[in-house]
Amino acid sequence: MKSLFLGTTAAALIFAGSAAMAQTKIEGGTDANMVLLPKFLGILVFDQAHEGAQEAHAELKNGGELLFVGPTPENSVAGQIELMTTAATQGQAAVMLSNNAGDQVAPAAKAAQEAGTHVVTWDSPIPSGEGEDVFVAQVDFGSIGTVMAEMAHSILNGEGEMAILSASPDAANQNAWIAALEEALKEDKYQGIKLVDTVYGNDQSEMSYNRALGLVDKHPNLGLIMSPTTVGIQATAKAMQDEGLCDQIKVSGLGLPSEMVSYTMNGCAPEFALWDFRDLGYLTYYTAYAIATGQIEPELGASFTAGRMGDYAIEEDPGRKGAKRILMGDFTVYNKDNVEAAAK
Amino acid sequence: MIGALLQRIGPQALRIIALALVLALVVLFFASQIDNYLNGRLFNRISSSVAVMMLIATGQTLVILTRNIDLSVGSVVGFTAFATGLMIDAMPDMPPLLLVAFAMAVGACFGAFNGFFVAYARVPAIIVTLATMALFRSALVELSDGTSINTAMLPQWLVQFPNTRLFEIGAFQFRAGFVCALLVVLVVHVALARLRPLRRLYAVGSNPEAAAMAGIDTRRVVFAAFVMAGALTGLAGFMFLARLGNITVVAGLGLELQSVAAAVLGGVNIFGGSGTVFGAFIGAVLVDLIDTSLTRWPLVSEFWREAVLGGLILVAVTADAVLMRRLVGLKGSRKPSRRALAEAKAGAAKTEGGRS
Repeated sequence: MKSLFLGTTAAALIFAGSAAMAQTKIEGGTDANMVLLPKFLGILVFDQAHEGAQEAHAELKNGGELLFVGPTPENSVAGQIELMTTAATQGQAAVMLSNNAGDQVAPAAKAAQEAGTHVVTWDSPIPSGEGEDVFVAQVDFGSIGTVMAEMAHSILNGEGEMAILSASPDAANQNAWIAALEEALKEDKYQGIKLVDTVYGNDQSEMSYNRALGLVDKHPNLGLIMSPTTVGIQATAKAMQDEGLCDQIKVSGLGLPSEMVSYTMNGCAPEFALWDFRDLGYLTYYTAYAIATGQIEPELGASFTAGRMGDYAIEEDPGRKGAKRILMGDFTVYNKDNVEAAAK
Repeated sequence: MIGALLQRIGPQALRIIALALVLALVVLFFASQIDNYLNGRLFNRISSSVAVMMLIATGQTLVILTRNIDLSVGSVVGFTAFATGLMIDAMPDMPPLLLVAFAMAVGACFGAFNGFFVAYARVPAIIVTLATMALFRSALVELSDGTSINTAMLPQWLVQFPNTRLFEIGAFQFRAGFVCALLVVLVVHVALARLRPLRRLYAVGSNPEAAAMAGIDTRRVVFAAFVMAGALTGLAGFMFLARLGNITVVAGLGLELQSVAAAVLGGVNIFGGSGTVFGAFIGAVLVDLIDTSLTRWPLVSEFWREAVLGGLILVAVTADAVLMRRLVGLKGSRKPSRRALAEAKAGAAKTEGGRS
């Protein structure tokens, strides 16, 4: 009943939206050289985003090139800035950036814009919004807080201590999500849940594994470790399993079904969530292409149809004052019932 | 009495004793700071996590002894771990020992690559391995093709091996990963002290010209040191894979600094020619101990942990050096009684009784 009501409301909203402004249908065929720039190379989710971008690239019959370039892991910040500068010098039409360099990338991004290269961020934005046309947000950063709080509530049965194991201390998306979780936990419903610590595993298995065990030793009453990163959640689950702690301490956060399936089935990580990175790459490509070919202006209210994914509009980013975003949408919560199907 | 003891102990053993004292001081310090610190769990944590580093530090020691350094170890660990994971995924029935041999062979190939440029092309090791650190890491990025290795791809025996409890003494668990790594360390330690071909590492490191005059092929020795270090680092990669299960392109990042720190803390002279593998092992334990304890120390926030770790390493090295000088000084002050030493050698019991 409730879902039916929500569905009706959503449909009504969509109708209202389309009535208010005409959707630009994105036409393909114009050549534009595009660069997809992930945080660094060699992480599965970024390659999935690349696949999504390739799908859109083919669909739009873009005769230009789609380059997938990224720094090596140990050189992420400096490498991203350098690649941004290079793309501008080469006169690329658009750079799609998952930012790992905080605001340090802003001057290079601004220079690129001045040189005529559009900058669309995805996955992780430029915190100040400077040098960025628009940010394609996988999910509403505030709603990630609510989803994590909800998973914590259901795993801990409403009462207990939890800690966070994040990636690096300067990843804009991680920090925004942690802040959103802290905000969500203030609600009355979650007052039995105490957030006791936050540590960083830098998206390295070994460091995440050791930090997770450190949390266990430091907080004897810990009931849950929440890790909003695919590397961290997996390392944490393995650490708990290796030390036989799964009965006492559960693991949750953001993870890939194929990597988490065994831990979900054996009860170490009963619930976790994620969105589809292929879709994110696809939508990001559509957005960047639409802007680069002048079919939409990166201004508030501009709206367009992104192929198979439907209609999207540019709106204000509630988390970053003065910045613009496109919201992709919901994510999936995985548990025993659906994780096996998703892992295949 | 102390003097008499010192007379008999070589400088290397002295250094290890000094290091053990520093280790004890660090443990006592954290025990006073952290509740529930001194227990079997601490031993289990450190011993399981140091198993990887002690192998790398052993390899690093071999290289540093010859006046060189290997900065590519982190990338080699990452690459070997990934390649070994791919291998066992492709051939799940591969016998365990063959898989270990494969990991060591991959590591040895990287070592040979480094060794060739250092020994035969005469490029300084710091430059060669700085370059190969990036090269090998990029090779890993290529090899991985965006995928990662995860536990589901690995056979059960591999995943369970490092945490298998072999025996327990009280609350101290001796797990297979640690015990195997310790055996390797001891074997290399003894071989380095006793075997003539390995003694050449010291000869080349302390005085290359003299070693060449004595008929040692110094280039071959340096090359061999890199190959052996590569094989040990490959073994560490195997251990890394077994312990963590999840290998991405960032695997092993930063291990080079830790391994150099472990070796130097363990009394391996960075200018070559002196040091022991067992010392480097204790150095690795010290680095791991400080890192693990800092995570639990409420006074230090996440952002300061690196700085505190660096500071403590500096303090530990300084304390070690000062203590060392003191002990050597104490030893030196007994010099007038050199005759007593001769006597001690002749009739130990009698002399010692006379002195105390």
